[in-house]
Amino acid sequence: MTTRRTDLPLRRPETPGLANRLDEISEWLEQGKIRPAQAFHLLSEAERPAATTASGATAEEDEERARARRIDEIMKELHGLVGLAKVKRLVQEIRAFTEIQQRRKKEGLAAEPVVLHMVFKGNPGTGKTTVARIIGRVFKEMGVLSKGHLVEVERADLVGEYIGHTAQKTREQLKRAQGGVLFIDEAYSLARGGEKDFGKESIDVLVKTMEDQRDQLLIIIAGYLREMEWFMSQNPGLKSRFPIQLEFPDYTSFELLQIADVMLAQRQYRLSPDARGVLESRLSRPYLPGEDNPGNARQVRNLLEHAIRRQAMRLVTQGRITRDDLMLLMASDLFDGEAGL
Amino acid sequence: MRQCLIIGKANAGKTLFLINFAEYLGARSLRLSVERSDGSVSDASFGLADARKALVDAVPHKTLGLQTLTLSVPRGKTVRRIQLTDSAGLSEDVHETIDVRKAMAQTLRHLRLAGMVLHVVDASQVGQEGAVEAMGEVDLQIARYAPQRGPYAIIANKMDLPLAKSGLQTIVQTFRGQPVLPVSALEKRGFREVRSFVWKHAY
Repeated sequence: MTTRRTDLPLRRPETPGLANRLDEISEWLEQGKIRPAQAFHLLSEAERPAATTASGATAEEDEERARARRIDEIMKELHGLVGLAKVKRLVQEIRAFTEIQQRRKKEGLAAEPVVLHMVFKGNPGTGKTTVARIIGRVFKEMGVLSKGHLVEVERADLVGEYIGHTAQKTREQLKRAQGGVLFIDEAYSLARGGEKDFGKESIDVLVKTMEDQRDQLLIIIAGYLREMEWFMSQNPGLKSRFPIQLEFPDYTSFELLQIADVMLAQRQYRLSPDARGVLESRLSRPYLPGEDNPGNARQVRNLLEHAIRRQAMRLVTQGRITRDDLMLLMASDLFDGEAGL
Repeated sequence: MRQCLIIGKANAGKTLFLINFAEYLGARSLRLSVERSDGSVSDASFGLADARKALVDAVPHKTLGLQTLTLSVPRGKTVRRIQLTDSAGLSEDVHETIDVRKAMAQTLRHLRLAGMVLHVVDASQVGQEGAVEAMGEVDLQIARYAPQRGPYAIIANKMDLPLAKSGLQTIVQTFRGQPVLPVSALEKRGFREVRSFVWKHAY
């Protein structure tokens, strides 16, 4: 024989399935789902004997469980909010969606990119900011956002006063919100003012950033129902870029009363029976023409805070004050012309 | 014949190392078989100077395919042959260009065939960044994985640059237990140690 096979494999034989694993990992690398360093890390994991991966897995599972617990806690907080049934359901849906997409990614299946920019439609005081803050925290725990903080801005924070100023201001806010949520209140005002207005430029910068860095940032635009619908119709491209639309309905009078109870409990006050009656009739009264925002948690808060101040005024002139007096709000505290009664 | 894969971060000097090391081993011209990431294979012959001009660049990610070179060197009564495969450089982050990512995936796939891995690290860059943390994550992960595949050595390249000395120290400390061979691919120094490492494991 003149030729001798010399290319016998001397290296350790491949464990079954390892070849597939290598293909799979190469695929992810090619698709840009993992960094080269992660690819090598995964390869190391795949080659290691089963015993060591088992102990590694438990540590990972522990971490996983702790994370799930933290998410549950935040969800509990969300469910503690009064009303908002639809919103809660949708947040749960989003949570399930992101979780499954992440699992699929882990298994190397095709995963939908998690694009979750949102539109919040509703009157002031219907819980939009509160929900946005909770969503930021949930996404942080789920690993969708790195920080999960909320940056609340409005037109004046985004739109500049001279040419070129707007792009700079908008980018600045986007940078602040990096890794978290950019919450744009009354976003429709960006499209007001016609063609020459700088608001349009701000929208362009936002849209561009949304395309470029889909994972790093969640943008929520919020405002009145009718105005937001008008806004979305003005910019046809926006609808597809904000796939999630949430409506925040006004609170019913019953829900407002519940909110009042929660607020009072937090502040350690209670209502006298007749004060409760006054509040109830105030909250369930059909609203007057011109008053277009009846179911509003912020108004409830203002009402209660005003009552608390009036109670204080009443008590300082009183001789002997018991602990109970300090907690009790009377009908007369609520009943004041200026508080809107 | 042992297949030896040259791997490392982009711009570590893998291709120049391949060419000059081949020259050191006695090659006067290079017959390269180039496998692109789409699977197509072509052969190309270069003079040494032409190869350096055509294949080496200061801009990272010049090499986007596997460039394989078969070398035979008489040793005693027998001829030893080895295949050296130069691969596309790896990046720290997900690279934005699909062609570069494809080439990196190809490098990874080739690991299956590689019986020996030479891991090229830019010592001057490590020296520049100083601390142990400055070692790129890719380098750390390669060093963790590649020894499991077979003979493995780290080539600390660019020793001709001023900062490389301290970089070499960092590399030796970081990869304790792995052979580290300082070379200057540019000045063709340090090749004797590489040769003895390669021949020791060639068959």
